[in-house]
Amino acid sequence: MPRELYALIGPSTPALSAQLAKPRLKQKPNFGGTAPRTKWELRTFKNPARKDGLELRHWEKVGADSAADYPFAKYDIQPNSYQYSPEEYTRLLEDKDWTKEETDYLLSVVKEYDSRWYIVHDRYNFPGGHERTLEDLKDRYCSVCRKLIRNRPWAGDDAGKTLLISSYQFDKEREVTRKKYLKSLEDRTPDQMAEEEALYIEVKRLEQSERRFKRDRENLLRTLAGIDSGLPDIVEDDPLPLAILEGSKTKTKKTKGVAEAESPATPAAAPAPTVKKPIKSAAYDAQHCIIRTETLSAAIATKAAHQPAYLRSFKLPAPKAAIAPKVTQALAELGISHTRLVMPTRENALLLDSLIEATTTLVETKRAYDKAEYEIQVLENRLGLREKSQPAEGAEGKIEGGAGMDVNDAQVGKEVEETDGEDGRAQSILSARSGGRSRKHARRSMSISSVDTVSTRANNKRQKRN
Amino acid sequence: MSNDRVRVRGLSIFRPIIYGNTAVVLTQKERDASLTPDHTHRWTVAVRSAASPPDGDQVGGADDLSYFIKRVSFKLHDTYPNPSRNVDKSPFELTETGWGEFEIQIRITFVTESGEKAATLYHHLKLHPWTASGEPEIPPLDVAMKLGPVHSWQYDEVVFNDPYQNFLNILTSHPPTPLPKSKRKPVPFHLAHPASLEASKGGTPEFTTQMAREEEERLKEARTRVVEEQEKWRAMLIEKENELMDLQKRVNGIEAA
Repeated sequence: MPRELYALIGPSTPALSAQLAKPRLKQKPNFGGTAPRTKWELRTFKNPARKDGLELRHWEKVGADSAADYPFAKYDIQPNSYQYSPEEYTRLLEDKDWTKEETDYLLSVVKEYDSRWYIVHDRYNFPGGHERTLEDLKDRYCSVCRKLIRNRPWAGDDAGKTLLISSYQFDKEREVTRKKYLKSLEDRTPDQMAEEEALYIEVKRLEQSERRFKRDRENLLRTLAGIDSGLPDIVEDDPLPLAILEGSKTKTKKTKGVAEAESPATPAAAPAPTVKKPIKSAAYDAQHCIIRTETLSAAIATKAAHQPAYLRSFKLPAPKAAIAPKVTQALAELGISHTRLVMPTRENALLLDSLIEATTTLVETKRAYDKAEYEIQVLENRLGLREKSQPAEGAEGKIEGGAGMDVNDAQVGKEVEETDGEDGRAQSILSARSGGRSRKHARRSMSISSVDTVSTRANNKRQKRN
Repeated sequence: MSNDRVRVRGLSIFRPIIYGNTAVVLTQKERDASLTPDHTHRWTVAVRSAASPPDGDQVGGADDLSYFIKRVSFKLHDTYPNPSRNVDKSPFELTETGWGEFEIQIRITFVTESGEKAATLYHHLKLHPWTASGEPEIPPLDVAMKLGPVHSWQYDEVVFNDPYQNFLNILTSHPPTPLPKSKRKPVPFHLAHPASLEASKGGTPEFTTQMAREEEERLKEARTRVVEEQEKWRAMLIEKENELMDLQKRVNGIEAA
């Protein structure tokens, strides 16, 4: 070791190895040198959302499961679309401002544009209808959906129903006001904005000076008259001194609005015990089989209204007498007897009630269906008779045959037929019609048989479970 | 004391009970020894608390119900001597022999503090083994004897609305034994759930909250199915009605022309 160096570092010689070790440099980034390369390949895939079965290709990792479904298929969620029967419309959805046709049209437009309201509003053009604002459309649509959900039997629990209904909640007035405010906010001129700013500062200044004035006055009163706590009203409407008294610096930093929102400290603390109490008493109630209901103050007054003690099974819900046999039969197919429950608890009685309600609606729907079918037959017969009496206008027959299909098709058919009416048509008409009817019957019987299989399957499952 | 006779509004309190009967076939020896040799069965009809005692071979009856029941009257078939039998203390049950099934009227009188009228219910005395179809089928006695005791019990809940304060105090000082959460013994058979026949075999049954849950599921399942079916029919109905309106229009159009 050179002498000069020794003079510098002294006897504490660093280890030789440390000097000889290679300097450590930053590790070089490894640009795919040693790591195995990921292989990609171009593969065909099908998107189940497409009805035409189009095959496109995309790059996929070689290792990935090639048989797997298209991973983005799960995002193809169809929005709920609601339909209503004319009976439902007249019962629930009548509105003096809307005709059924326009409501139909609205629902179809909303469905077509997937509830994208700006587009819906843009495209909305109902012939003969008057101008609708976006809020009008949205309000009508949401109210229709809400009413339908509320009045139809619901398969899930009540919470789900309320949630779904609340998702269709729409406050038109509020929305209009909100937009009006926003518009006026946007429409301000620079002058107005400056003026507003100035006014705001002015108000703040006034508030501050008033506060100072009050404090001064209070101090003065204290020194002069010796009032201990000052004037209560002065302290009350002055949040700043309060906050200082509490010694919390964070509160003083907050804007007045926030401080005020939080200031009612006692009411905020009060709900805590009331929240706790139900939990404690819920266990107590469950232990003692107590059910608490909201008392209506009006009901208290009447003494005669007392409901005597009863057995739960005595109050089981019963279907309407007129359709009771059909409901009983339908429930029997499902393996449920509505007159007896194994465990008539409160929950089960409520469930049975909703089940009977749903079944009643089902029976009524079926009845309405049969009625509609009958009326269609009557009308078809009338048309048929008319057609015979007016052989020159045999063209109408074709329309009749196409009645089961789309309305537009029928109209197109009419136009075509107007040009050439031939005798040979009559046969094809008949065959088309009978074909249509038999198809209907087949469909009906199919659904009935499916009900049967379903119920037997349910029974099997039950047996397995037990 | 004065506020004891005040009704507690907005509150209803219930007590789970079971009622029904157990029946066994008499042996030839027993029949010979009795005064009525034509009687083939011995049965016990009872009103009990729903939970079964932890030890013992009895359906229900873990709690003494005399804190809210004063008397249970069983009205037997008229052919019995003195057919109306009153039981004024716990256990509220009656044992008799007989050869046939009949309807028993059970009248439950509540304690005076309740201020409630008596409740009447009916039980079909069950002597012969259950069948899956529910159709009565009487097997020969020796077969029935091998099958063991027959149980027929109905769970129910006695509901008191707006009870008097002192009655409520009585009730709350006797909380019912909760039903076991899961199945430990055979399931009591019930006609409303014929699939439980297999599970009901093999000993003294016991009521559980599992039965309530399972019934809840059955009801929910049925409701889901009904709603699905209804949606299908409604869609078809809408289609039909549109078709009908279309036809109507055409008919009107032709008639106008």
